Amino acid sequence: MRFYLGFFFLLVPGLIFSQKILFKGADLHIGNGEFIENGLLGIDGDRIVLVKKALISSINENKWDSIIDVSGAQIYPAFVNTNNTLGLTEIDAVRATRDFDDVGAFNPHLRTQIAFNAESKVGETVRTNGVMITQATPRGGIISGASSVMSLFAWNWEDATVLADDGIHVNWPSSTVGGGWWAEPKPKSRNKEYSAQKAELRSFFDMSKAYCESKKPKFDQRLEAMKKCFSGNQRVYIHANELQQIHDVIDFVTEMNFPFPVLVGGYDAHLVGRKLKDAKLPVMLKRIHGLPQLEGEATDLPYKSATLLSEQGVLFCLQGAGDMEAMNARNLPFIAGTSMAYGLTEEQAVESISLSPCKIMGIDKDYGSLEIDKKATFFVSRGNALDMMTNKVTMIYFDGKSESTSNFQEALYLKYKAKYSER
Amino acid sequence: MKLITALVSFLLMTVSTFGQYKPQNGVATSKSEITAITNAHIYVSSTQEFKNGSILINEGKVLKIGKKIKIPKGANVFDLQGRTVLPAFIELNSNIGIVKQKKESPRSYRPQIESNKGSSFYWNEAVHPEVDASLMYSKNKAAIKEINQKGFGFFVSHSNEGIVRGTGLLVSANGDNLSSDIVSPKIASYFSLSKGDSKQSYPSSQMGSIALLRQSFYDFQYYSKSDLNFTDLSMEAWKSQMQLPRFFQTADKLEILRASKIANEFNSSFIYLGSGNEYEAIDPLKKLNSKIVVPINFPDAYDVSDPYISRLIPLSQLKHWELAPLNFKILKENNIEVAISSSGLKSADQFWKNIRLIIQSGVDKTDVLKALTETPASFIEQGESMGRLEKDMLASFTVFSSDPFTDKNAKANEIWLKGERKSLEPFQEIEVKGSYHLNRPNNRFVLEFSGSTQRLKVSLFDTDLDGNKVDSTKTKAAFKLDGNDVTLTLKRADTTGKFAEVLHGKVTPNGAVMEGDIVLKDGTWEKWSAIRFLDSEKEDLDIKTQAIQTGKCWFPNVSYGLDSALQQESIIFTNATIWTNEAEGIVNEMDVLVENGKISRIGKGLRFDSENVKVIDASGMHLTSGIIDEHSHIAISKGVNESGQAISAEVSIADVVNSDDVNIYRQLAGGVTCSQLLHGSASPVGGQSAIVKLKWGEFPENMLIQNAPGFIKFALGENVKQSNWGNFNTVRFPQTRMGVEQVFYDGFHRARIYNQEWENYLKKNKGKSISEPRVDLELQTLAEILKKERFITCHSYVQSEINMLMHVADSMGFRVNTFTHILEGYKLADKMREHGVGGSTFSDWWAYKYEVNDAIPYNASLMHDNGVVVAINSDDAEMGRRLNQEAAKGVKYGGMSQEDAWKMVTLNPAKLLHLDDRMGSVKVGKDADLVLWTDNPLSIMAKVSKTIIDGTIYFDSDRKTAMENRNIEERARIIQKMILNREAGNPVKKYEHKKEKFYHCDSFGEEGETSTNTH
Repeated sequence: MRFYLGFFFLLVPGLIFSQKILFKGADLHIGNGEFIENGLLGIDGDRIVLVKKALISSINENKWDSIIDVSGAQIYPAFVNTNNTLGLTEIDAVRATRDFDDVGAFNPHLRTQIAFNAESKVGETVRTNGVMITQATPRGGIISGASSVMSLFAWNWEDATVLADDGIHVNWPSSTVGGGWWAEPKPKSRNKEYSAQKAELRSFFDMSKAYCESKKPKFDQRLEAMKKCFSGNQRVYIHANELQQIHDVIDFVTEMNFPFPVLVGGYDAHLVGRKLKDAKLPVMLKRIHGLPQLEGEATDLPYKSATLLSEQGVLFCLQGAGDMEAMNARNLPFIAGTSMAYGLTEEQAVESISLSPCKIMGIDKDYGSLEIDKKATFFVSRGNALDMMTNKVTMIYFDGKSESTSNFQEALYLKYKAKYSER
Repeated sequence: MKLITALVSFLLMTVSTFGQYKPQNGVATSKSEITAITNAHIYVSSTQEFKNGSILINEGKVLKIGKKIKIPKGANVFDLQGRTVLPAFIELNSNIGIVKQKKESPRSYRPQIESNKGSSFYWNEAVHPEVDASLMYSKNKAAIKEINQKGFGFFVSHSNEGIVRGTGLLVSANGDNLSSDIVSPKIASYFSLSKGDSKQSYPSSQMGSIALLRQSFYDFQYYSKSDLNFTDLSMEAWKSQMQLPRFFQTADKLEILRASKIANEFNSSFIYLGSGNEYEAIDPLKKLNSKIVVPINFPDAYDVSDPYISRLIPLSQLKHWELAPLNFKILKENNIEVAISSSGLKSADQFWKNIRLIIQSGVDKTDVLKALTETPASFIEQGESMGRLEKDMLASFTVFSSDPFTDKNAKANEIWLKGERKSLEPFQEIEVKGSYHLNRPNNRFVLEFSGSTQRLKVSLFDTDLDGNKVDSTKTKAAFKLDGNDVTLTLKRADTTGKFAEVLHGKVTPNGAVMEGDIVLKDGTWEKWSAIRFLDSEKEDLDIKTQAIQTGKCWFPNVSYGLDSALQQESIIFTNATIWTNEAEGIVNEMDVLVENGKISRIGKGLRFDSENVKVIDASGMHLTSGIIDEHSHIAISKGVNESGQAISAEVSIADVVNSDDVNIYRQLAGGVTCSQLLHGSASPVGGQSAIVKLKWGEFPENMLIQNAPGFIKFALGENVKQSNWGNFNTVRFPQTRMGVEQVFYDGFHRARIYNQEWENYLKKNKGKSISEPRVDLELQTLAEILKKERFITCHSYVQSEINMLMHVADSMGFRVNTFTHILEGYKLADKMREHGVGGSTFSDWWAYKYEVNDAIPYNASLMHDNGVVVAINSDDAEMGRRLNQEAAKGVKYGGMSQEDAWKMVTLNPAKLLHLDDRMGSVKVGKDADLVLWTDNPLSIMAKVSKTIIDGTIYFDSDRKTAMENRNIEERARIIQKMILNREAGNPVKKYEHKKEKFYHCDSFGEEGETSTNTH
């Protein structure tokens, strides 16, 4: 039954779906830290309507249009990729395909939503590992622009939009500078301009705030784009990694009194976890598949850093920004997996790439966990999805629609496999 | 007899026309024939000293020296009562007075491929033996005075840029205008590994510099031996320098080891101009038996007041700060012949402060003296005339106010150069010190002096009715002493406001009484006097010679460094799940015994000598052979790419292995035991690789696998075409895949001819009818490939170019050994199998450039299924420590068996490196390169418990926390010391953080850059 369905959906993604489907026999990783062994997951249209333990529940099979037996498999809520240029770039080295960094220092008015490539070939290879939602994030300048939360299953950017303009991205000035360029490297040193750059940033925010509070402001496209940071639901994502920066960011968000500030990066955040918790500043943690930044740090510090934040009660999610981040987004589950090997429980690791990022971005009402009334957005894996050996996605549902579990790379694989088997 | 010869030579000397033949303006100056220095504390040499001695000088040389010498009548006598005389020091590493010509060339962003110097010179601008520093020399009085004040009377100056730098000149450090000061225009030749001012593209890396230097030595040999129909002015100059001592400038202790290999190759020797961290490589340096000139510009302490900044300072730099002053001592203790250079130290105060730091570390002052005089003299073969003050040697010495080795207030008053006296700073005989009553007609003050005679500080106090000073009234005053003239400037205030008073006068020879006049602010005159009532407390200037408590040098001297090299052990792993990579497959509950660095036995319930064998209970754990990374760029110094030429087969990563790289330790923590350190992918023919075992704490020579087969990196596609290098880099051939093919054909054709020439030469009456052909390191290496003595690992992406290289190889009669990256290998796996080439690929990288658009993660499986030996590599310092995870992706993408997936990071790379007879599986007789995992090594939960190389435990998770804490404690200890150092008034500097660089295939220049996404 399930193989039949799976194959069928593979051919026509997104077009056919049943009204009421019950998935039975799988272990449910709820996404909020809970786990149901051998559970029942029921969906009606685009919503989840049933989440139960199979052993203690009786079901009336007639109430369901389809019942899919997924015994022995694992069901996860959609994994959510944050802080990533996926969909805004195709081939990193080809400038023509890069659409994430524009001219100017303060660009809150730039919106990634409309540049998002719903037909990205890279995206296709990401979703088949269970990563189904991405935050299309701009880069560069002091304020890069506004990100949008996008689905990886869509015909165009309008369909793809989960949440438009979820927040603006601020690159906090570095407290150290230098390094030169490759041919003439120079030592990196304390950034003497740090205070001045902080002040520059601060004055832009002060100006924005004044503009927002003004009753009849003279129209300014940039400042207009800042409005929702102060009063609406928009997040203020502040990118910073160094200890000095993080202390200053905490002061800044406290003084500015943003409703939803977020720290992005936070390499040193584990040193000030309590302070972050008290400031209610969540963290989108820098890619943990990274080297220690300092010579003497523990060799496995990055691998452990999620656990260190978790132990201090900080709300955080895992992400993979950095070198080749778009294509690497498919490895997000394994980033969570490594954090699991280094201290998180399995369900905490799942949460760090499902419910937590949704909470941080403000889409947790609909996404992030297998809970009743949330969107039916999840996937089935034959084994533990956080382990590359066992991550095998067999079914994908986005807003209740079944989606393809294949991609062009698999097609190329099958094509050449067939070529060789002919001989 | 002796007397007679002495007499004769004396007579000869007096009649000889010593000195100048230049016409003089005015009447000739008359000079005493003999000059006498008396009553001085004289260091004759490092072995002889007179507390109260005299010197007779004649014609610029020492005529007589000793305790009691009869001063001849008519001698010009200088009584140096209480002062100290040291033989003039000799500086071997300077560029004083060398004026470089500015090159007027238009700035261009395009690479310069050829030399701009024209065809009469060597083809590479960094090799310029023809540079003669004496022709660039002009007297720099200020610089000469500066080194005179330190005590230097001679210096060798050279043009300090380039790889073959040319000659230096020896100068008698005489700053006056009248006399020539050049002792010898060509005293030594100079070399380095630094390219200098040359704008020519080649070499762009340290390994390129090494190859160029070797090639130029060969070219020189060829030029000297052969009858050529052209003249190369560079080579002609080199010929004339054959007898000169050779100095080699280095920037790190490892560069000394690198240069010494070149010296051995050409049966030559170098004297090394060191960098100051030689103590970090004391064992290999001791074996070299070499001569070293060390700088003593010890690093300043860091400003550690901001903890956010100070935590960024690597422990390696903290440790070097602490240990740098011990460099000299450690070299000396290991019987290395060492001279001291003052290079990098601007002031005499700083120089002497550091000299005294060396003495405080427990070095005898005579050893230091020797390192400044006799040793440098012998290094430039001038030991017969300078470095000591013995009879007939040059009368060049410095007169200090007291013994500078022990007295921090000692100053160089005068320097004598070849018997001529130059005043540097007048000797202040009268000492003003202690407390004085300053008496004036209407009031009385107290003056307090502190500090040295040279830098007196004075404070002025009002007095109470009893004449005692009132502390609260302290004001600063200025005091100047010149001979017996005193000037005291007082800043005072009264009801009318602030005003100044200047007191002039004289001081008595014993310094106890001063008197003179003041002009008051209303213009009237007044008398003043000052009488000492309190002598200053005698400062204890004796230097404590007990060694200062300091940490130990670690190996390497960075975080996680070891106290000493680790030891091999006999080890038994009991009850392990063993991934044998052999026919037995994965077996449970077995024991593995390791002895003498090899796997000696495998079985259930093995018996062993429980006294001498370390037992590791491996129940529930997995034991595998160590991970072998076929493609890595860690542990490489100064450049992973020689990008200056399309073919750079002559360069070798093995020449620049950097054993200090903390990434070695980090890889061990990820279960890697062996890495092939590859040249980058910037050129079609890159360079030779280094295959190393990650023996943390060892020096490069011990990391390199002995008798490992030779490999060379080739590259294809976008990187070698310079597709992503911007619009200026469109000059170097090739710029298309078409060009790449032709580069290979051209190289191999030339190599074939080259090989033929040599074979003919060696076969036929060697050296008789045919002259010896030129050694060409590039073609020699390519010929090794044709002769199947060296194997190719080729960076490759798209199928067309992969196919092309196999065709090139087929037509030339050899086999490509490995395609690395090989992301489209799956499209021609059948052809690869037929050719017999392996594939070393990424598990799932793609989309970073156009040529990886069709890269699929099923690549490894497809190649494997079609009979290609497949490895998974990292090309990345971070991923290198998670290669087990990357191998596991073989199971996910394409459904490999776990055993086969695991072999992709162990046995298969061993096969590709032709090392599978020694590594890659758990088999009796193979190297004990083993990793104990906490879990199935392919599982995301797997962590490394132990990493063992040749039977030595290099990483142990049980010691992990202790190692981390040791870093923290060592850091805290040194930071404490820095804080105390700062409180003691020593200078500190702000931390400048040098970003760690990680090399990828396409990093250029001597410092890597992680340019994004172009592997």
